[in-house]
Amino acid sequence: MSRARSYLWFFAKRLGTVVFALWSLGSLVFLMIKVIPGDEAQIAAGPDASPDQVALVRQRLGLDASVIVQYFRFWGRLLHGDLGTSITTFQPVLLDLERTLPSTLELVVVAMLINLSVSIPAGLIAAARRGGRTDGLFRVLAVILGGMPAFWLALMLQYLLAARYRLLPISGQNSYGMEPPRWTGVPTLDAIAAGNMASLLDALTYIVLPAAVLAVLYSTQIFRALRTSLLGVLESDFIMAVRAKGATERRVLIGHAFPNSINPVLTLAGTQLGAMIGAAVLVETVFARRGIGTYMFNAVAQKDMYAVLGSVLFIGAIVCLINLVVDVLQIVVDPRIRAAQFGRS
Amino acid sequence: MMMQPNPAGRPAPVPGEAPLLSVDNLCVSIRVDDRSVNIVDGVSFSIRRGERVALVGESGSGKSVTARALMRLERRMKATGSIVCDGRDILKLSDGEMRRVRGGTIGMVFQDPMSFLDPLRTIGDQIAETLRIRGVSRRDAERKALHILDELKVERAAERLTAYPHEFSGGMRQRVVLAMALIGDPRLLIADEPTTALDVRVQDQVLALLDEISRSRGLSVLFITHDLGIVAGFADRVMVMYAGSVVEDGDVYSTFAAPRHPYTRGLLDAVPRIDRDSDRLASIRGTPPHVFARPQGCPFHPRCDRAFERCVIERPVLRELGGMRVACHRPEPEAAR
Repeated sequence: MSRARSYLWFFAKRLGTVVFALWSLGSLVFLMIKVIPGDEAQIAAGPDASPDQVALVRQRLGLDASVIVQYFRFWGRLLHGDLGTSITTFQPVLLDLERTLPSTLELVVVAMLINLSVSIPAGLIAAARRGGRTDGLFRVLAVILGGMPAFWLALMLQYLLAARYRLLPISGQNSYGMEPPRWTGVPTLDAIAAGNMASLLDALTYIVLPAAVLAVLYSTQIFRALRTSLLGVLESDFIMAVRAKGATERRVLIGHAFPNSINPVLTLAGTQLGAMIGAAVLVETVFARRGIGTYMFNAVAQKDMYAVLGSVLFIGAIVCLINLVVDVLQIVVDPRIRAAQFGRS
Repeated sequence: MMMQPNPAGRPAPVPGEAPLLSVDNLCVSIRVDDRSVNIVDGVSFSIRRGERVALVGESGSGKSVTARALMRLERRMKATGSIVCDGRDILKLSDGEMRRVRGGTIGMVFQDPMSFLDPLRTIGDQIAETLRIRGVSRRDAERKALHILDELKVERAAERLTAYPHEFSGGMRQRVVLAMALIGDPRLLIADEPTTALDVRVQDQVLALLDEISRSRGLSVLFITHDLGIVAGFADRVMVMYAGSVVEDGDVYSTFAAPRHPYTRGLLDAVPRIDRDSDRLASIRGTPPHVFARPQGCPFHPRCDRAFERCVIERPVLRELGGMRVACHRPEPEAAR
């Protein structure tokens, strides 16, 4: 098989898996709607609706048809981008997600950047000084920070940095009047697109604290995974061979040990991205950010079924996408995986 | 593998010339539970320029640790004594000076070439790295790498430079490892069981290559092995290690013809031979002692047929004996067999 064809084949296979995963997730979501206690028509019609009104809603939503028919209609609507209508915002769920998701993605991406830019250097340093004082300090810190509840940390930092010393804004996404013209819905990106430095700085001061809080737990995980992986790799024979060439410890660590230790870190970071979207709810609530976390939180509290299920489906799709990216990254890093996928390079 | 000693074609020792490497009373210890255990226990030897010395011993005898100590590669162990290479005491060098010795004055070839290559880097990258570390430009380093692979008779060397280790056969990988050690133009090559992981045919090829290269470059070689057949074909001198110390040191011809230490004798007898009638394979009784439980006196005495009271009490030192060095209270007679 030619190189180009094997690449195509690879992506076709991966896309197939993604489609299968999304179909499973969608079907599961449908099943949940049917299994969760509570009459859909009753919920949609509202608590004060009369039996006649409920019957009307039931008919309008097609809930009087058989489950099989409903299942196909459900998919038909999904494929047309119709995730149903929220009973709290009275808007199509898709529209709600379009408004809330960019903010959450911004939070999660910035949190991941903070996560990696703290945990990777810390992991490298700890592994290089194995058993030393710095290593010990970092490990103790990882245990303490890893065991700290995010909402508590959020409140403490909010109190200290925002309320007491007024270094950062307490909550929200922009200062009044600093909001950039909406384009992607991500405040920092929109500010860059608008070429408005003041607006960008403003948005950054709002994002840094919530993102840091969200990053803490996950960065302790990456730190530990990287340190363990590095220590294993540093024991391997080829590291001794690199030292025998006269390499400095920096070269040994960054040029050879790190690339060989990155695989478990990539996998972990991929699963973390998905988990962070879910965990964003606490941070968004504390910092009053209009993200998908807050949206889902409200939806659950209001038993807004379509809003919850639409969010779940959307997050699922994002997780699938992240997994695809992680797979590709692993292929980029490791020539052996490349060879296994595409034959001899 | 052939068993006949081959003393022909070796460079004659130049009297009065300072040896390239001289090791004096080298001890390598590791700390275990607040106790210091000597893995290498007072080893002394020297290697002349162009000389090829085999270091032989069973697993756990300390031969690999000795070899690595010469380059200070055992990071968790402490080495004492002196290792003078090319006029400088290795054990007294700063870390920076030591890095220049590694890959520069001393090159090292390792046992299992697959595990000693970085799986994520191309072969060319890894061979050139020794020079890149020393500030040579990428282009020059790669040209030199190509040159070395040609010298090692790697076919289509230019294409091979961009390949990864997993795409190579065992013999090819060993050539790559050899190239990594040779590119820095070392004076001493330490080869730690370089052929053990290879099949016999490839072993022969690699040995022939090593033989040719060390001869043409005037390299000193310390060749670590437990294969006595290789020793006979390749080395000028053989040193036998047992339980952390050298028990016998002599030129290959005399040692193989008439070993003076009972352990060496046992090793040679244990090599199966078709030119002698024997119903069963000879072997040395017992097992080599564990590093943490080496016996008092002569470490070999529990397994030795010639042992007497003195061997249990007093550890024999390496002494001159008819042109060889032997550490034994009751050596084998000069004309054994």
